[in-house]
Amino acid sequence: MPPKRKAAPAAGGSAKAGRASALSTPGPATPRSLDSSMMSEADEDLDEDVTEAQKEREELLGQEADEFVNNWAISSKRFQNQPEGKKHDAATPYFGKRDFSGLPLKPDHLNRPLWIDPDKGTIVLERFNALAEQATDFLITIAEPKSRPTFLHEYALTTHSLYAAVSVGLRPRDIINTLDRFLKTALPTSIRNFIQQCTNSYGKVKLVLKNNKYFVESVDAEMLQKLLKDEVIGKLRVQGSGDITTTYAPTMGGLVIPGTKNAAGVHQADLKQADKQEEPGKEADLYASLNEEDDDDDKEAVHAFEISDSAVETVQKRCLDIGFPILEEYDFRNDDVNPNLEIDLQPNTQIRPYQEKSLSKMFGNGRAKSGIIVLPCGAGKTLVGITAACTIKKGIIVLCTSSMSVVQWRQEFLKWSNINPDDIAVFTAESKNKFSGSTGIIVTTYSMVTNNRERSHDSKKMMDFLKGREWGLMLLDEVHVVPAEVFRRVISSIKSHSKLGLTATLLREDDKISHLNFLIGPKLYEANWMELSQQGHIAKVQCAEVWCPMPTEFYDEYLRANSRMKRTLYAMNPRKFQACQYLINYHEARGDKIIVFSDELYSLKKYAETLQKFYIYGGTSQQERMTVLENFQHNPNVNTLFLSKIGDTSLDLPEATCLIQISSHFGSRRQEAQRLGRILRAKRRNDEGFNAFFYSLVSKDTQEMYYSSKRQAFLVDQGYAFKVITQLANIEKTPNLAFATAQERRELLQLTLVDNEKGTEDDIETDDLFGKPGAGAGGRGKKKPGPGVRRTAGTLGELSGGQDMAYIEQNKGGAHLKKNQKANQSSFFKKIAREKERSRK
Amino acid sequence: MSGTQSYQLSDYLEKLPATTFRKLYQQPSTAFAIFRRMLPPLAKVFVQALLYMPSPLLLSQLDDVWVKSEGRQQRDRALAILRSLHIVQITPSGKDKPQEMQLTTNFKNSMRLALEGGGSHLSFGVPSALPVDPSIDIPFLDKYSRKKWEDILHYVVNSVSVYGDIGGGGSSGGSAAGPRPSVKDLLLAGHLVERRPDSKSGIVITQAGFTFLLQESNAQVWTLLLLWLEASDHAKGAANGGRGGAMMDSIDMLSFLFMLASLELGRAYDTESLTETRRNMLPDLVDFGLIFVPRENPRQYFPTRLATTLTSSASALRSVSAGFAAATANASGDAASLGAVAGANSAAAAESKGSIIVETNYRIYAYTSSPLQIAVLALFTQLNMRFAGMVTGRLTRDSIRRAISYGITADQIISYLAAHAHEQMSRTAAATGRPILPPTVVDQIRLWQLENERMRTTAGYLFRDFESPAEFAALTAYAEEIGVLVWKNEKKNLFFVSKYEQLRDYLKSRKK
Amino acid sequence: MPRATGGILIECEPAIKSIIVHLDSVSHDIIIEDLDEQHLLVRPNMVHLLKQKLEERLKETYRPEEPLADSDG
Repeated sequence: MPPKRKAAPAAGGSAKAGRASALSTPGPATPRSLDSSMMSEADEDLDEDVTEAQKEREELLGQEADEFVNNWAISSKRFQNQPEGKKHDAATPYFGKRDFSGLPLKPDHLNRPLWIDPDKGTIVLERFNALAEQATDFLITIAEPKSRPTFLHEYALTTHSLYAAVSVGLRPRDIINTLDRFLKTALPTSIRNFIQQCTNSYGKVKLVLKNNKYFVESVDAEMLQKLLKDEVIGKLRVQGSGDITTTYAPTMGGLVIPGTKNAAGVHQADLKQADKQEEPGKEADLYASLNEEDDDDDKEAVHAFEISDSAVETVQKRCLDIGFPILEEYDFRNDDVNPNLEIDLQPNTQIRPYQEKSLSKMFGNGRAKSGIIVLPCGAGKTLVGITAACTIKKGIIVLCTSSMSVVQWRQEFLKWSNINPDDIAVFTAESKNKFSGSTGIIVTTYSMVTNNRERSHDSKKMMDFLKGREWGLMLLDEVHVVPAEVFRRVISSIKSHSKLGLTATLLREDDKISHLNFLIGPKLYEANWMELSQQGHIAKVQCAEVWCPMPTEFYDEYLRANSRMKRTLYAMNPRKFQACQYLINYHEARGDKIIVFSDELYSLKKYAETLQKFYIYGGTSQQERMTVLENFQHNPNVNTLFLSKIGDTSLDLPEATCLIQISSHFGSRRQEAQRLGRILRAKRRNDEGFNAFFYSLVSKDTQEMYYSSKRQAFLVDQGYAFKVITQLANIEKTPNLAFATAQERRELLQLTLVDNEKGTEDDIETDDLFGKPGAGAGGRGKKKPGPGVRRTAGTLGELSGGQDMAYIEQNKGGAHLKKNQKANQSSFFKKIAREKERSRK
Repeated sequence: MSGTQSYQLSDYLEKLPATTFRKLYQQPSTAFAIFRRMLPPLAKVFVQALLYMPSPLLLSQLDDVWVKSEGRQQRDRALAILRSLHIVQITPSGKDKPQEMQLTTNFKNSMRLALEGGGSHLSFGVPSALPVDPSIDIPFLDKYSRKKWEDILHYVVNSVSVYGDIGGGGSSGGSAAGPRPSVKDLLLAGHLVERRPDSKSGIVITQAGFTFLLQESNAQVWTLLLLWLEASDHAKGAANGGRGGAMMDSIDMLSFLFMLASLELGRAYDTESLTETRRNMLPDLVDFGLIFVPRENPRQYFPTRLATTLTSSASALRSVSAGFAAATANASGDAASLGAVAGANSAAAAESKGSIIVETNYRIYAYTSSPLQIAVLALFTQLNMRFAGMVTGRLTRDSIRRAISYGITADQIISYLAAHAHEQMSRTAAATGRPILPPTVVDQIRLWQLENERMRTTAGYLFRDFESPAEFAALTAYAEEIGVLVWKNEKKNLFFVSKYEQLRDYLKSRKK
Repeated sequence: MPRATGGILIECEPAIKSIIVHLDSVSHDIIIEDLDEQHLLVRPNMVHLLKQKLEERLKETYRPEEPLADSDG
């Protein structure tokens, strides 16, 4: 290479920066690419003049704004302006359309914490910025958290998140101005348009239950006119209720959420408020508002028309269809019809800052807004619900996923509030009480109130009771696990003025989250797991994924097996068994209390029995459960407990400090988060240097690896890090290591194959969720594959999620599950007896 | 040359014969440059001590006076380097005479000249007597050389064709064409990139190329220059049919490079006073961005910072664009004026401080505007968004596996990320006593690499059906001896070889 | 007289070997000889296809890359 140039005549002795032409043309020749290339850098900074184009587009937008388009992608051209100062350089092609470096930085951008992607509304937040805290508070209100590890967080601005923002009282201009203030660049026009368009239609219309009449309310009189002209809604207005009435929007006024720092001081004001409620003539809302106007000039006028009770759902649906989703608010302080409930938090109960923050979103303007609060397990969701109940002080209905958590909810109410035990009743298969007074609290399960099958006389009477009343607040526990259909049934049969959904994760692998948005209300608050863990509210957890290679004979069998058997085989992998045994030994020696989770019932039993540990699954009776849990909590010789997926939610075991998963529900991110939640409330979490442990044991080179990483996705985006462990140190030295010889492993394989040949027993969620309420004490037994049982033969997409269908199907077999119950029970009791025997020694 | 490692100046020099050193050391600039760049501190102390010593020094004295007993290892290393570079001579150890050391004659003389000045060696360049265009100032030269060098680096990271595709060359800022074809050939010949018909551009980076990128820019320049010297040696050797002339040339070339390192940045030098060999080097040096030759006045050449820092100590500089930014922006007080270039000032500063944040969820955030650094990231990251001064992306199995398929190793990626870690990462690491990169991410990158190593294939022949165990034993022994045996199983009497021809012949000869 | 058979020697982990044997069991056109736990002799013309199938198979064990567009409008 170089020589060919050396051969060139160095004419005139001048060294040329040899271009081809220069070789034959002696004389001045410099690199001619030089000038142009040097200049180009300056060209890159040029800002396109977009004003003309902008005007045109804005006109277009104006036209389009008239028709509502259901597709609200920011990237849709209605929001997009042509590149604002589009820049192009060598690196641009790596990003395609996602190069936004043309958006010029503000001069003081270093002091501002946010970037926003004008195309999809992704927001990047610098956590190490001085304004990070404020920006985080703001973002959690207006956007969906997507990634919250250590240094940079990502949020997504979506239609739903803006809906939520508006519903907690943010105004479009507040959103736009605040966002602009935090941004390093100017607010892109597309985002501005998006926010304006969304908020135009969202949150403008409210459904208010006032003086026991339903009103459609809006600050925008034109909006109401528009609705009245609507062919469906117009007809539903209560005739003769007069024209649109105008009042003034409420403010938080004297409302104090109990348990907050203000609570003690403002208690007086609260009393005054209570007095005021008893004043006559209160139904003349107008006057009340006018009176209040004196001490608040900032009030906005609101307009309303009345609709009948029966029209509520139709109006809600219609409003949604025409693009003005309706918000529900409950002006409980002015509700004179429903009797007040004597309830308050116990004195000295202080709720935590994030609990207060979430409740302030709910009660921001002095009314109760319906919506969902998302807190990690162990972060005190129950207390949030109880505090909300203590704020509203009306009839409360609580819906849980299992009878076990019904009991727990009631206990929590008694623990945290001064509620009279007679005022809080339980409606389950076993117990059908009513409260004694005119109002009170009922705790029940979703399945109890949605079951359409024949009810016992008592149940029927109880349902009539529930349906025949108006409830001030409906608390919906674990909303993420309940199918939308169930909500629809609950909500249509039981009338409540406000609804509060509680959950640890809003994850659903089906896309039913949007349904929750409209059935219950928007997400009001979502806490940051890592932050709570750093503040000591929930335990710090070390997460690990342990890779367990499959012995060749197992793996060969695995490759041949059908998908059901595959799952059994990767759960029964003897190396996994050994890893489990090793970890139990190790952590018991450390003084940990261990929960081992297995979705696979066959392996649950096999593991527990081989290792001589207690186990609980769907078929375990309530009484057995209590005995086992009691032992786990208090017996120093019972340190490990095996649980089927019935332990995923609502099982409160603050003793547990270590969790081992041996099999799980496909790629369910939700289950992973819930299971992690089992150890987040660890009692010892604030001990110096305390860590809880979370292990996922996965069989190498099987689909379990795929599911495992999928399952972790949510937690990983919350900042949890899963360490991969490929080798457990000295595992071979474990005393009495199971399946240590090839012979034993082969036998295990044979046994596994034979036992599972005819299909396996599925975990039966009797009193859980949609189980057969009457079964109560739990059925169990071999489930025969047959016409009655439809196996999920869904797509991988369905399988990979915690598909709700799977829960329902298991119950189809519910009716004939009780057969072998006795035999199993006796063996179980024998085991307990054995354990007791041992612990006595 | 071998493609596995980037080339180091010391490797190159160590291979040169003593005669070459003698000639090299005739130039005071060379002697001085080698002294400056190639010697560890202790060796420098020795040279300074010996320089004006009238008679050889007894080796034992050296130990008495200069070296503490615990510094033995350093002393040995310093002496080994000094000897391999033919700077000192040490008499062989004999019975009657103690060992003595002294500087080699040429080195000593040149070194003295370099320090004292004087002589007519023109070793430190002849300034041009012609009028100098005032627009060719230091900022201009920095901008120019930065551009030239980045073009080369861009080509190595293979971003040229990528933006060639979309930017259509013209609009994207003139760098679409990349470096001159001769430079491209050089990079190919040096195995920093290789042809890969299945890739989009036909060119992909190699492991050596990635090692090259990881070097600080000064070492990068040397790597390229040495490739160039070798290539021209080789070509001339072939052309002349002998090594003599070629050797002379390459000594002159090397001396010229050392001389460039001694020149003053911003000053014009005279091309007329150069030897023909050196004049012939100028076009290539222009392509590398080491010198600038004005169009109007080809009798002048200006060394750029890339040339004048050739023999500077390397430790202060960092890698890739950061190192480059440091070389072109930080070295002297004119950094501010250079900063005017495309807002590179703060970016360059940030880059040299470290700009990359690696999160536990595999997301990558890099505070950079440098297309080059982005292109490097793109080698192993799935890039997502770009803002002014910041890009986002993610490490994925695919992105890491792609990098690994180029020959880039997991360790290289990890050390790149660690070396460029943002100060927030370092701060947190220091505060918590944890490693700077999330350990789970580091593990995962390694695990992704391991995935690639789960199956090895070898083409060849399986041998079986031996007449006797003895025959099996003899054949496997022979196959092993000639290095073709890949696998054998004594129980089954089977073995596998990569080639069979010699075995066949061996079998035949046994049968006879 | 010893015989020599041309082919590709595959050296791999037992699990990978299991997968190859499994793939071969369908049409028996991949493996020439099963040598031991970690070695196989396979037909040269099948190696490319084998690598593809193996990759496909192993893909089931890794999480597919999620699209980077983090927005659910």
